[in-house]
Amino acid sequence: MEHRTVIDSHPSLNNPRAPRKKLRNIHHLSPFWNAMAHIGIGLFSLACVYPFLFVVVLSFTDEQSLAKNGYKIIPEQWSVEAYTYLFRTGNQLLRSYGVTLFITVVGTLLTLVIVSLYAYAISRSYFHFRGFFSFVAFFTMLFGGGLVPSYIVVTQVLHLKDTMWALILPMCVSAFSILIMRTFFKTMVPDAIIESGKIDGAGEFRVFLYLVLPISLPGLATIGLFAALGYWNDWFNALLYIDDARLLPLQSLLMKVETNIQFILQNAGVGGAADRTDMVRTLPAETTRMAMVVLATVPIIFAYPFFQRYFVQGLTIGAVKE
Amino acid sequence: MRKSVLLVLTFIMLASIALAGCSSGSKDTKSSEGTKDTGTTDTQVTPEKKEDPVTLLWYTIGGPQKDQDKVLTEVNKYLQEKINVKLDMKVIDWGDYSQKMQVIAASGEPFDIAFTSSWAFNYVEGARKGYFLELDELLNQSGQGIKEVLNPAFLEGSKVNGHNYAIPTNKELPAQAVWRFNKNLVDKYKLDITQATMLESLAPMLKAVKAGEPDVYPIPSNIGMYLPFDFALEGIPVGVPMNTTDFKMVNIWESVEAKQVFKTMREYYQAGYLPPDVATKQGNDFEKTGKWLVDKQHTVPFADIQWTESMKYPIVSTPIHEPLVFNWSVTGSMQAISAKTKYPKQAMEFLNLLNTDKYLRNLINNGIEGVHYKRLTADTYEPIPDSGYSMPSFTLGNMFLLDKLKADPADKWEQYKKFNDSAKNAPLLGFQFDPTNVMTEIANVKNAVDEFGPSFNTGSVDPEKMLPKAIEKLKAQGIEKIIAEAQKQLDAWRASK
Amino acid sequence: MKGLLRWLKLVGRNKALLLMVLPGFVWFLLFCYLPMPGALIAFKDYQFSRDGFLASMIESKWVGFKNFEYLFKTEDAYLIVRNTLLYNAAFIILGTLFAVLVAIVISEIANKKLAKIYQTGMFLPHFLSWVIVSYFVFSFLSVDKGVLNQFLTWIGADPEFWYTETKFWPYILIIVNLWKGVGYGSVIYLAAIVGIDKSYFEAAMIDGASKWQQIRNITIPMITPIIVIMFILAVGGIFRADFGLFYQVPRDTGALYSVTNVIDTFVYRGLKVTGNIGMSTAAGLYQSVVGFILVLVTNFIVRKINKEQALF
Repeated sequence: MEHRTVIDSHPSLNNPRAPRKKLRNIHHLSPFWNAMAHIGIGLFSLACVYPFLFVVVLSFTDEQSLAKNGYKIIPEQWSVEAYTYLFRTGNQLLRSYGVTLFITVVGTLLTLVIVSLYAYAISRSYFHFRGFFSFVAFFTMLFGGGLVPSYIVVTQVLHLKDTMWALILPMCVSAFSILIMRTFFKTMVPDAIIESGKIDGAGEFRVFLYLVLPISLPGLATIGLFAALGYWNDWFNALLYIDDARLLPLQSLLMKVETNIQFILQNAGVGGAADRTDMVRTLPAETTRMAMVVLATVPIIFAYPFFQRYFVQGLTIGAVKE
Repeated sequence: MRKSVLLVLTFIMLASIALAGCSSGSKDTKSSEGTKDTGTTDTQVTPEKKEDPVTLLWYTIGGPQKDQDKVLTEVNKYLQEKINVKLDMKVIDWGDYSQKMQVIAASGEPFDIAFTSSWAFNYVEGARKGYFLELDELLNQSGQGIKEVLNPAFLEGSKVNGHNYAIPTNKELPAQAVWRFNKNLVDKYKLDITQATMLESLAPMLKAVKAGEPDVYPIPSNIGMYLPFDFALEGIPVGVPMNTTDFKMVNIWESVEAKQVFKTMREYYQAGYLPPDVATKQGNDFEKTGKWLVDKQHTVPFADIQWTESMKYPIVSTPIHEPLVFNWSVTGSMQAISAKTKYPKQAMEFLNLLNTDKYLRNLINNGIEGVHYKRLTADTYEPIPDSGYSMPSFTLGNMFLLDKLKADPADKWEQYKKFNDSAKNAPLLGFQFDPTNVMTEIANVKNAVDEFGPSFNTGSVDPEKMLPKAIEKLKAQGIEKIIAEAQKQLDAWRASK
Repeated sequence: MKGLLRWLKLVGRNKALLLMVLPGFVWFLLFCYLPMPGALIAFKDYQFSRDGFLASMIESKWVGFKNFEYLFKTEDAYLIVRNTLLYNAAFIILGTLFAVLVAIVISEIANKKLAKIYQTGMFLPHFLSWVIVSYFVFSFLSVDKGVLNQFLTWIGADPEFWYTETKFWPYILIIVNLWKGVGYGSVIYLAAIVGIDKSYFEAAMIDGASKWQQIRNITIPMITPIIVIMFILAVGGIFRADFGLFYQVPRDTGALYSVTNVIDTFVYRGLKVTGNIGMSTAAGLYQSVVGFILVLVTNFIVRKINKEQALF
C-alpha cells in the first residue's frame, strides 16, 4: 500500500512533544481511499449544510418575492428587512441571547460536575452500590410521572416558576449522559491508574480530579457538548415554567412563532373574520422566521470548534501521559 | 439486579409519601385560607374599602405586549379606585395557551381568571373537569351588568349541565359561512357572485377563471366544506341535520349531502380547479399572491372591508347559509373564574366592569392614549404602529364598548347587534355532548377522520371508491357507539327541556 | 441488626464514592422519583378537585385499564406498533452504522481542517426544528414546484405525487432521520476513537499492521462498549417515535397514515378532541413498560456474551 506524505498531519504529531515523524505515513489512508473519504463525507456534509444555507438566503429574501416565487436559492429580490425588523422591535432578542447564554453556560457546568461524579462512582468495580445507583439512573430514562406531576414538583415543591433555575435544574442531569460517561470511564480509565494514585496516598476525590478527569477530556467534551446543545435548544421548559418575557430563551422565542403559526392555520375555520385578522396580525413574516432561525443557530455553530479543540487536546494529553 | 428493582420500588413508595406530605400540607393551608376568605367575602359588605386591594391573576391568550406593565399600572390605578382590585395579567401566546393552561389547571396552580373557548383551552372540557367555578349565583350577585349587556343567547347557549362556568364575550353570536371572492378576478370575468349559493353553483365561475388564467387554482386550498349538519363534537362526523325535526344523530359521512359535496369536489379537483397536492398544502400564501378566486370563511358585519384592508386588494362575499348560533360560536371567546380562586366575588366584579365600562375596556385593549394610540373623535382612534401595546380585541370582553377605527362604519356595533338578533339557533344549541363513556372510540374515530377527511374535502380521492372504505373504517373504530351515546344524551337533554 | 451493622460498615467503606453520587441521586429523587407516582393517573378517570392535584388523584375514580383501551381496541393498533417498531429498529441499526462509519472516516481523514469543517457541517441539521425540515422536504417533493418533479420532467419522466404514494415514505423518513441525526450521533463515537490510547496504534504500526487491520482490530473493539451501551439505551426508546418526524415531515397527510402513523402521532390525534390526561399518561406508561422489558432482554443477552459490557 502506498502512503503519501502530507504537510498537515495527525494532531498528535502536530504536538512537538510527540516526535514520531517516521510514523506519519502509516497514519494516513492511501490516496485513493483518502479521496473516497473526502468525497463521501464531503457530499454528506454538503447535504447537511445546504438547507441551512437556504434558510440564510430566505432570511435575506424580499417578503413579496418569496410569496410570489416560493423558495428560490437565488431570490428575485434581496432584502435585509427581516433583520432590521427583528432588531427594531426591541431588545427582546438581545435579552433572550443573554438568558440562553446564561443557562447554557451555568447548566453545562452543573451538568458536567454532577454527571461526571455520578458516572465515575458507578464505573468503579469496587463501589459496592454501583448496581443500585446504575439502576436508579437508568430507570428514569424509561419511566416518568408525566407532565403534570413534574410540573407540580418544579412549581409547588421547589417554587421555581419564572426563575432561571426552572430552565436549568429540570434538565441538568441526564441518565443517558451518566451511562455514556460511565462506559467512558470504564474503558478509558484503567483501574491501574487509580490504584497507582491510591498507593500514593491520594483520596478518591484527588484521584478523580487529578488523574481521571484530565484523561477523560474527550468524554467530558462530548457530554458537555450534548448538555450545551440541550440547553441551547430547549424551549419546552420555558413553555411550561416561564411567563415573564424577560426570562425567555432564544429557542422558545423561535418555537413560539412556529407553534403560533401552526395553531392559527389549524384553527383557520374557527371564529369570525375579525378574530382571524386579529390573530394573523400578530404573526411575523416568513422571512423574519428564517432570520430568527439563523440568529438562534449561528452562535452555537461558532461555539462548536471550541468543543472540537477539546477532543484534540484530550488526545494530546493522552499521548503525553505514557 | 432484583435487589435494585426492589430498592427503586421502595423509593417510589417513599416518594409518593413525600409528595403526599408536601401536597397535603399545602392543601391544608390553602383550604383553610379558602374558607377564611370566603368567610370574609360574605361579611365584607361595608368594611371592604378599608382593606388592601386583592390582586387577581388573569391568564389570557394573545401575543405578549412589550408595554404591558405600563398599561397595567394605569389599569390598576383605575381598578383600585373603582372596585379595590389589582390585576396581574399574563398574556400567553396563541399556540402555547391550551397546553400551558391545561397543565396549570390540572396541577391546581392558583389563578383567578382565565380565557377559555371552544378552540383554545376547551371550555366544555374544563367545566366538566372541575377547573372552573360555577357562576350562576355569582352572576346574579355581582354580574348584573354582564347580564344586561349580553344577548341572552350567549349565557343560555354556553351552559354545561345546566350551569354557566364562564362569561362569554359580547361579539358576533352566530356563525355564517360565506364564499369569499377575489374581486379582481370576479370583475375581470364579469362573474355574478350572487349566483353562488351552493357548491355546485360555483362551477361556471371556476370554469371561466381556469380557462382564462391557467396558472391560477381558483380554489387555492383545503377550504373545509360546509355541510348542513350540527356536529355533536368538533372534528367527529356525528350530528343532526340543520333542519332536523326528529333529532336523530347520524353518521354525517353517510349522508346524501356529504356524498354530494365530496363528489362535486372530486369533479372540481379533476378539472384542475384545485392545486394537485391541495390535501397537503398548508398556509395562506395565496392571500398574498392573489392567485385565487374563491374560498370559504365565516363572516361578520363588514367583514369584506376588513379582508380588503388586510389583503390590500378588494374582496367580496356571498353567504352560504343564514346566520346560525352554534355551541362553538357561542363559546368562541369566554372568561372563566378558577374553581380554586380565593376571590370569586372580586373576580366577578372585575369581569362585570370589564364588560360594562367603556374606559377600562378600551384601556386594556388599546393601551394609553397618546402612547399607544391617537384619539380621533369621541369613539374613534388610530393605533400608533409598533407602539408596544395592542391586544386582540375579541378575546377580552364586550367588543361593543370598543372605540372604532377610522375606516370602521359609524354603525358598526349596531350592525353587529342586528346580525346577532337576526340569527337562528342551530338544533343542538345548548346541548353539550359528554364524551366520557366513549373516549376510546373518539380517539380511534378521530384518527380515521384525519386520515380521510382532507382528501374528501379537497377531492383528492375518488369518493365512489374511497368513501365506502372510509365509512367501513369509521364503523370499525366504533362510530356507531358514539352515535348511540350521543343519541342517548340528546334524548335526555330534550326531555329535560 | 447484624445486617444493618454490616450495611453501615459498607457505607463507611464507600463513603467517598457515595458522596460523589449524592448530588445526582438527590436530583433523581426530586425530579424523577417524586413525580413518578403521578403515573397512576393512567388508571384513573382524572377529575379535578378544589383541594389540589393530590386530592384530585385520590378522589378520582379507579378505572383499571380503561385508559389503555384505545391503544389496543382499534384496528390501527397493529399498524402503529408495527410502524413504530420497524422505523425505530431501522433508525437504531442504520443510525449506529452510519454514525460509527462517519466517526471512523473523519478520524482517518488526514486534512484535519477539512475534517473539522465536514463535522461542523454535518451537525447543522440537528439545529433545524422539524417544522423547518418539513418546509425543505416539501420544497423537494411538492407536486407542482418541487425540485424532484422538476428534475423528473426534465429527464422526461412523469412527475410523482409524492404525498399520496405510500411506497416512497419508508425511504424518505429513514433518509431524513439519518440526515438529521448522523452528524450528532457520530460525536460520541468520535470522542471514543480519539480517546483510544495511542500506544495501541503505535504497537500495531511497528508490527506492520495496515490501516484496515488497525481499524478492525483496535478501533472497533475499543469503541464496542460505547456502541453496545448506546444500543441498549436506544432499545429502551424503541416504542417512542419522534413526533416531529412522523407528523410534520409528511405534513399530516391522511393518505400516508398507513406508513406514517406511529404511536405518538396516533395518541396526539386521538386526544386532540378530548385532551384526556389519563389516556396520554397511559400511552406513556405503555411505551415505558415495553421499552423496559426490551432493555432487560437486551441487557440479559449482552450479559451472557460479555458481562463487562452489560448495563447492569
